[in-house]
Amino acid sequence: MSVAEAEAREIQLEAPSGLWHEAFHRLIRNPSAIIGFVLVFLFFTAAVFAPRLATHDPLKTDLLAIADGCCPGPSTEHWLGVDLLGRDVFSRLLYGARYSLLIGVVSVFIGLSIGMVIGATAGYVGGIVDSVLMRAMDIMLAIPGLLFAIAIVAALQPGLWQIMVAVGVVNVPIFARLLRSSVLAQRENEFVLAARAVGVRKHKILASHILPNAVSVLIVQATLAMATAIIDVAGLAFLGLGNPDPATPEWGAMLTDVNEYLQAAPFLAVVPGLAIVLSVLGFNMIGDALREALDPKLRGRV
Amino acid sequence: MGKRRWLLLLVAACALALGGCGGDDGDDEGGGDGGESGGTLVFAGASDPVVIDGALVSDGESIRAVTQIFETLIGLKPGSTDLVPALATEWEVSPDAKAYTFTLRDGVKFHDGTDFNAEAVCFNFDRWYNFKGPLQSSSASYYWQSFFGGYAKNESEDISPSLYKSCEAKDDTTAVVTLTKPSASMLGALTQQAFSIASPKALEEFKADAGTVDEETGFRPTGTFGTEHPIGTGPFKFESWKRADRLVLAKYDDYWGEKAKVDKVIIRPIADNAARLQALQNDEIQGYDLVEPQDVPTIEGDENLQILERPAFNVAYVTINQKQKPMDKLEVRQAVAYGLDREAVVNNFYGGRGVVAKEMMPPEVMGYADDVTEYSYDPEKAKSLLQKAGLTLPVPIDFWYPTDVSRPYMPDPKRNFEAFAASLNKSGFKVTPHSAPWSPDYLGRVDEGTAGHLNLIGWTGDFADPDNFIGVFFQSFSPQFGFRNPELFNLLDQGEADADEGKREEIYQQANRLVMDYLPAVPYAHSKPALGFRADIEGYVPSPTTNESFATVSIGGGD
Repeated sequence: MSVAEAEAREIQLEAPSGLWHEAFHRLIRNPSAIIGFVLVFLFFTAAVFAPRLATHDPLKTDLLAIADGCCPGPSTEHWLGVDLLGRDVFSRLLYGARYSLLIGVVSVFIGLSIGMVIGATAGYVGGIVDSVLMRAMDIMLAIPGLLFAIAIVAALQPGLWQIMVAVGVVNVPIFARLLRSSVLAQRENEFVLAARAVGVRKHKILASHILPNAVSVLIVQATLAMATAIIDVAGLAFLGLGNPDPATPEWGAMLTDVNEYLQAAPFLAVVPGLAIVLSVLGFNMIGDALREALDPKLRGRV
Repeated sequence: MGKRRWLLLLVAACALALGGCGGDDGDDEGGGDGGESGGTLVFAGASDPVVIDGALVSDGESIRAVTQIFETLIGLKPGSTDLVPALATEWEVSPDAKAYTFTLRDGVKFHDGTDFNAEAVCFNFDRWYNFKGPLQSSSASYYWQSFFGGYAKNESEDISPSLYKSCEAKDDTTAVVTLTKPSASMLGALTQQAFSIASPKALEEFKADAGTVDEETGFRPTGTFGTEHPIGTGPFKFESWKRADRLVLAKYDDYWGEKAKVDKVIIRPIADNAARLQALQNDEIQGYDLVEPQDVPTIEGDENLQILERPAFNVAYVTINQKQKPMDKLEVRQAVAYGLDREAVVNNFYGGRGVVAKEMMPPEVMGYADDVTEYSYDPEKAKSLLQKAGLTLPVPIDFWYPTDVSRPYMPDPKRNFEAFAASLNKSGFKVTPHSAPWSPDYLGRVDEGTAGHLNLIGWTGDFADPDNFIGVFFQSFSPQFGFRNPELFNLLDQGEADADEGKREEIYQQANRLVMDYLPAVPYAHSKPALGFRADIEGYVPSPTTNESFATVSIGGGD
């Protein structure tokens, strides 16, 4: 047997069975899961506790701080230095996490909920409804995600909710497909056939029997979608399609600001860039680790 | 995870690193061939010229090319705004300031061998006066319209009657230009490259007027005058032009004046600021224009490079649109003036190359008044003025700034905007930010008066005359500023028409005082744009109007 299967056997013998318990034990053995968890934990802490943790007001300009030219690096007063207008970089970093978290969560939620409904309907109802819905999803998937988001924001005019909608819509076909395959896989299961035989209504079967089994897949995809959402939000802001107020602390916008100053103040680009990379990496790592951990094929028993 | 993944990551990292290197497009033209003359100078502009025909362009890169190949009747002393003879050796203005008699230089030939004479001069003037159809658009013959107004037959109601009446070639070396109204600023205006003299034979043979005009990109020729046969009298002649790649100019051996020191000049368009700097550092180019303030220390610190500075000849200002209430109230405009922290912006964002502007034209221009009303940053005073005007604080205003652009007077518009917005927010206003890409959206909005209560813009002088600054802004009603002030309009009309220099100076000084009391705009900076060159380049003389010739440049001493 393969190493994975041997591991699975070992885990099953060690700990009580159950998808979630097994998954958890697999996770804590996985180094990339731990790293990912740490990164995501830092991200969440920064975002949620930004007002408490920030040392300065992220919007407060201080032109005296850059009176000697741009831009003084880390100091005791400004832990990561100041930006082009004398604002504290550390505080802006924390509030930027807030912005990314907010948009990430909301847009993934939008994508997930709409996609879920579309996918489940298509999978369960089948027939022409399935064809039509899935062709629509295919069309949406044919356009690269970031470009699609750009097009939507450009059409709706830049603004907070417009970005959420744009990134959310980009996620819809991904979740739709996911749900559809999950539903299709389970449609002919014994318990579903049994429920149908007894006369349970279609939507109740979907809600109570099929969807709970799709949860694990959804969690994995949601985590990965969060990673893409952070990149999309930063990308949109970098391209000038973010919040119209240029003072907004947002990682992508912080990168645009320093575009012309890369030779003079490279540090100002490294900080938000690193923040984006680490957050996205964290979510990707957790997502991958979760996918492995929740993979039913690796479970000890059928 | 495991070995494979780490290996993949390593390969990816290497690929990224390799991708970051290089980026050199095209072959390297060796500069600095040693020796004190000869050699090839490679210069980088910010964009490709539109067409090499002075009469039909208004962008800096086209004008740079035109400046090398063509000449005007009256020139500027290099590095200053003093008038010197060019193709005209003497000139006389009639007492009523309506007729100008030019004595032309003898023995000058165009690059195609034809003679330069009064007939050629009048041919050119009449060509511009008789522009028809799309060529009458301000995206094409902008400078003609700006100074002379209209044409022989105006095809649009928006164009005013022409200031130009006729040109007469009395003999080979005497040309008389007659105007319909007196104007004291024509001599200065004629130094602009738009009024340079081209070979009539070439203009006709290569159909210089044939083409269409695109509102955004300008004149699109179908003839080959401006793309393959721009024939003038200047120290360089056209050799070849590969669009978006390079324009090659060669020394004109039969030039009437001091011959060019280099054999060839190659002008390459490099749009990205950082790329231009890198090209200079790598000796791919020997000079470039519009150095960003934050790159100046990098260049100055490099012993192989040098910075050259242009005298300040521009003004950066905040437009106040009086059509947008409550900007029509004087107290509110004063509050804006007191609420902008202009000193902090100029001292911190211009790399030491800016001075705080106290009026709407730079000190070098005649008519500058030292005793205008000044406004220092005072948030409390601003708030009390707003309350005196009967408004509840904070007063909401829309403030626009441009994106995707860097101007000599405003190198980083967003940065200026953020600092100004922050100071206005402390002074009793509540700023709502708006932005648009510079061309055509932002410029169009500013011109039409749809860019909010306040917007950031500026102006580089085309010729050294106060008429080219406050005359352009405030001589008549414009949607940008949205006001009618007959006292100011009349004062500026007088200034333009009066031939007496002394009187003109007084009038314009009075106008400047009036402008800074009435506050149709708040000026904030005059900047000295910087050029970057290799240290072994000598003889380039920066000009306030940015029209600089490469003829005096030499690549001194080997590398």
